[in-house]
Amino acid sequence: MKKWQLTLGLVVVLVGAVVGAKILLAPKQAVINPQDARAKGNPHARVKIVEFVDFQCPACAWGIEYLKTLFARHPNDLYIQVRYFPLTSLHRHALISALYSECAARQGKFWALDELMIPQQSQWAPLINPQPVFDAMARQIGMDMGQLNSCLGSEDARKVINDEKSMGQSLGIASTPTYFINNKMVVGTKSLQEEMKTYFPKG
Amino acid sequence: MWLLRIFIGAIFIVSGLGKLLSPYQNFLYVIQAYQLLPSGLEVLAAQVFPWIELIVGTFVFLGLWTRPSLRAAVVLFGAFVVVVGQALLRHLSLDNCGCFGEWFHLRPQTVIVMDSVSLLLTMALLSALPQTKKFSLDFYMDRV
Repeated sequence: MKKWQLTLGLVVVLVGAVVGAKILLAPKQAVINPQDARAKGNPHARVKIVEFVDFQCPACAWGIEYLKTLFARHPNDLYIQVRYFPLTSLHRHALISALYSECAARQGKFWALDELMIPQQSQWAPLINPQPVFDAMARQIGMDMGQLNSCLGSEDARKVINDEKSMGQSLGIASTPTYFINNKMVVGTKSLQEEMKTYFPKG
Repeated sequence: MWLLRIFIGAIFIVSGLGKLLSPYQNFLYVIQAYQLLPSGLEVLAAQVFPWIELIVGTFVFLGLWTRPSLRAAVVLFGAFVVVVGQALLRHLSLDNCGCFGEWFHLRPQTVIVMDSVSLLLTMALLSALPQTKKFSLDFYMDRV
């Protein structure tokens, strides 16, 4: 066999193996659930976004604020659903902030807590224990503190978070924020802005 | 030397496969963090670069076209040193280098040392080509 034939054969085998593996390991699509307490907007909107976030990740906070502004301008054209993807190895408060969010969602207060937690991220993120700050936020939005405390201690809330993170991993998510915009995967805020400009060129 | 050649090839194979088996958007996010390329080129780099790593790595590993593939490896390691180095000099916020896709997370400070050492080792392989070619496809095919 000539060297060039071997080279060509090798490249074809490599490309075939990788393409085959990618087809076999192809991630499923992000599921939109219209009954979700962590969703807002028009369920029939032309732009549906599932965002996987870590509440301690600065880029996630930027993305949440950006989408909030866009949503205020186009409430009927957007449907946004939040999924948990706490990066516990990078952010020490990733899990507890997700737990508070999940417990707020169970009291129908997810977005109200989000309105306080995200803009104040730079204040609670450096704290050793951010729970007093989160408790104060919960009181401010009128959450039932008894229910909150029992929710924070429950395995069920943790399971929801872990299950969503596992689902994110099965979708191929490696970092946050990751968005599925009309099922197209978009990672990071720069790509988010570029993708949203295709739907809303005037912002 | 031939063992070192296989090791260097394996580094590229692992690095390329890690990125190729993950959605390209994850590597695109890493490239964006280096703030070096315009948007269009970032997407192109995210889709093409892992293939270059895999193909160069496989050729180095097997010892096929050993001299040109080692030269390509030198260029790649040199490029990594420049890209990571400029990010460190500009104090860009990089949680990890993204070098191995999702498989390993390494700090850029660690990576620039690893890449510099790998660059020197690959140059050493090029300077001792007859020993490097032992147990290689080139060695076998040149004899046939």
